[in-house]
Amino acid sequence: MKEMFKIVISLFAIFVGSGLVLSYVYARTSTVIYNAQVREKEEALRKMSPEAEKIEEAGKWTLYEKPNEYYEAKKGNKVIGYVASTVGKGYSSYIKILVSTDPDIKIKSIDILSHQETPGLGDEIEKEDFKKQFGGKTLENLELVKVETTDKIQAISGATISSRAVTNGVKEAVKILNETYRKGPSKE
Amino acid sequence: MNEKINYWKIFKNGLFSENPVFRLALSLCPAVAVTSGVKNGFLMGVAVLFVQTMSNITVSIIRNFIHPRVRIPSYIFIIATWVTVTDLLMAAYARDVYKDMGLYIQLIVAFAIILSRLESFASKKNVLPSGVDGLGMGVGFLLALVLIGFVRELLGKGALWGYQFTPSKPLLIMILPTGGFFVMGLLMGLFNWIDRRFFGGKTTAEVHMEGHKHGSH
Repeated sequence: MKEMFKIVISLFAIFVGSGLVLSYVYARTSTVIYNAQVREKEEALRKMSPEAEKIEEAGKWTLYEKPNEYYEAKKGNKVIGYVASTVGKGYSSYIKILVSTDPDIKIKSIDILSHQETPGLGDEIEKEDFKKQFGGKTLENLELVKVETTDKIQAISGATISSRAVTNGVKEAVKILNETYRKGPSKE
Repeated sequence: MNEKINYWKIFKNGLFSENPVFRLALSLCPAVAVTSGVKNGFLMGVAVLFVQTMSNITVSIIRNFIHPRVRIPSYIFIIATWVTVTDLLMAAYARDVYKDMGLYIQLIVAFAIILSRLESFASKKNVLPSGVDGLGMGVGFLLALVLIGFVRELLGKGALWGYQFTPSKPLLIMILPTGGFFVMGLLMGLFNWIDRRFFGGKTTAEVHMEGHKHGSH
């Protein structure tokens, strides 16, 4: 009984000590981390639509049960484009993507925010050569093919799954933007 | 206890004769997982160095208060505390690195090398030798990861520290997990060969037979 009491005291003291250390460090770092996250998100959005004066959140949507948002990029009161965050279901991770379009939902650019794809193969989705293929594409062009192409998306050799994940993620985002902002029936 | 402690010897022990990866064969899982490049290996090494040293010192200081029957939970709790501290500090002050490494940092809690040093060294020795042992083991681990990362990145990507200097990828298999096992095995063999050939040392297997029976992770 006395032994048990000693064990409890010993463990309890260590837990309390750890708790104190952690709460101190957390108190010092949590605001820094939060601010950095907010800033990073703003910077990422601004990069997608550099000419916009402000980028306002316009709605939320979900894909693969992941929360995503879409934004209206405005100059003065005029909407000059849309930005949507989206995800792709990759080979070994969810790929977080930002898509920016013009007011006619034609893609301007995409950016890969984060992923955990295979180094050396899947991570080539980060390369400009792959990303710039999306520029100028509309919903009907967003299809992955394995041969050279100009009006569709060409898969990276050795990383078809990651390429398809990005293409599908972008496609879903463009669909949502089409449904929300295109008047009348979609031209799909 | 009165004899003079040779700190250099304790430090050097972790670098070579008891190198965590190549000699003790502990924490091989991260040694494969994060060594697809020199940079990742280096950063992981730094994180482990910090956690190992701080945990060693903490356990050494409070070793008389830790009840022997609950020492493993106590050690794990101390390790987890320092890992969380590392995690928070990196998330706050080293964002770029954290984006690459964040996932792996929390896994340090389960690294066999850290627990094993707490049990076999820090829980029996004074603060200073324990700290030096932590530094030695940490640097040894760091060097091992950098070495594996060097070979893998050079052969697999034709790059070092992210700087590309061949247009193609010479040996793609090297950056895949398979290559990690190849490189680790070959380097371990090389370490054993050097030690036996020039220093009359023992092989990794023999070190293991004599030593305590650790589980390896």
